Amino acid sequence: METEQLLYHLAEIEELAEDIISDKHQMVELDKKRQKTREAIRLLSKDKKSQKTWVCFGNMFIKLPKEDTKKLLEKDFNGLDTEIADVSKGLKPKVNKLRDLEHKEDVKGFGLNAMSRDEIQAVEALL
Amino acid sequence: MAAPTVEKVQEVREVTRIERIGAHSHIRGLGLDDALDARNVSQGMVGQVDARRAAGVILEMIKEGKIAGRACLIAGHPGTGKTAIAMAMAQALGTDTPFTSIAGSEIFSLEMSKTEALTQAFRKSIGVRIKEETEIIEGEVVEIQIDRPATGTGAKVGKLTLKTTEMETIYDLGQKMIESLTKEKVQAGDIITIDKATGKITKLGRSFTRARDYDAMGAQTKFVQCPEGELQKRKEVVHTVTLHEIDVINSRTQGFLALFSGDTGEIKSEVREQINSKVAEWREEGKAEIVPGVLFVDEVHMLDIECFSFLNRALEDDMAPILIMATNRGITRIRGTNYQSPHGIPIDLLDRLLIIATTPYDEKEIKQILKIRCEEEDVEMTDDALTVLTKIGMETSLRYAIQLITVASLVCRKRKGSEVDVDDIKRVYSLFLDESRSTQFLKEYQEEFMFNEMSGTAQSMETS
Repeated sequence: METEQLLYHLAEIEELAEDIISDKHQMVELDKKRQKTREAIRLLSKDKKSQKTWVCFGNMFIKLPKEDTKKLLEKDFNGLDTEIADVSKGLKPKVNKLRDLEHKEDVKGFGLNAMSRDEIQAVEALL
Repeated sequence: MAAPTVEKVQEVREVTRIERIGAHSHIRGLGLDDALDARNVSQGMVGQVDARRAAGVILEMIKEGKIAGRACLIAGHPGTGKTAIAMAMAQALGTDTPFTSIAGSEIFSLEMSKTEALTQAFRKSIGVRIKEETEIIEGEVVEIQIDRPATGTGAKVGKLTLKTTEMETIYDLGQKMIESLTKEKVQAGDIITIDKATGKITKLGRSFTRARDYDAMGAQTKFVQCPEGELQKRKEVVHTVTLHEIDVINSRTQGFLALFSGDTGEIKSEVREQINSKVAEWREEGKAEIVPGVLFVDEVHMLDIECFSFLNRALEDDMAPILIMATNRGITRIRGTNYQSPHGIPIDLLDRLLIIATTPYDEKEIKQILKIRCEEEDVEMTDDALTVLTKIGMETSLRYAIQLITVASLVCRKRKGSEVDVDDIKRVYSLFLDESRSTQFLKEYQEEFMFNEMSGTAQSMETS
């Protein structure tokens, strides 16, 4: 009976830990995408000559007008930012829950809202 | 993202305390098990099982944040471990909870009024937890490319390639970034962070993979691992500062340097009020947490009636810390009055206190304590010597016996011995008088001392 309980408990911890790790991977992937999109936008805005550019969708290249491409990319870029924020927001409760399962104390001050720039500057000498 | 954040949070203020061998330096905690029962000998604590249990219960409540504005009193004979219990509580609370320790007589100073000194002590014991959040770009510099315009003047443009173990990207650089990169002397192979909001560049060190780029390198070159994960990450750091520290930097007459010089002088009450309301505002917005700490007042009978009434009032404040007091007095006069009261504390304050009593140590416990002290002071002692010392401790006082350890070891070293023996103990026992033998001596030879005729009046002069 006890072994069963223990197994269940361990499985629960493992599952949550796995979840956190996959979230972390996802954030790396998203950031990778974000940086590449940013690079592409930069390149497009620097390029003054061509009217149309090649865009790769899946495994097909399509030639699209430059302006449209830029708009598409910018939309992607903004979407990525919110997506990353979402994932990182979801991570906190998961980490807290994992610590709870492992019988560790909650991380102190985890749930606080961040101070604004001015406020940090006011107390900077102390930190 | 989660893991680095968690690590960062825990990193806060982990400064190792370097302590000299003091009277209580062997104490690591209260020595309780999970059920809050005191183990007889643990973490440097010996005996006082009931008092330690009581302290443990209070400690748990402090940790859970269930009590604030409470006070407790540790009362007992001299040398029964009152300060030791308070120190153990401080150790067990950890570095995150502010702990201030003062002696009752410390508040009497010429530069500061008594209430100011007490207020400062109170505010030193209240922490404010705040969080700083920054968006940073962290990576190893793969390449910097700066193009200078052919004409010699005009804006420079450039490219910066950064990588982590997982990814790599190119940033276009503007004039400002190029300037700060050159100023920081950033080159390929450096690990840098760029604060996104301010554009501030910090050099963390050189990458390990580039360790063999040059044969000769300055001693200050620091090598670090290439960062993992994403390039652009959010860094969250939690700080705990005390209300007193905020008071000091905001008290206009002195800059924040006053924090280090230690002499802060008096702080205007308007400043305190402003800070209180600001902190309350932060609390409303979920930006700050109050961490009620612990204020420990040793020798509390040295406070006078004004201080006691101040304490009474201050404990009612909604941001009051937990007050722990210690005294070795029985029924005695309250300082500043002609009234007698238990422990020299007014009854109305006494009524608010949780009182923990310590009892005298028995022989076995004294032996154990002496043994721990020997270890702490790196003194080897034979069993016989320890038994003799325990006897001395029983007859005179524990403090006297503890003091004999160091001197005995010096005597032992002088005769080039490796272990302190009974003879060494005997020798220092004859060299240094304990309190009762000294009194005895004075009684016998009183006539030969100066001003002995005043001995009758001295008693009434002692406390004023």
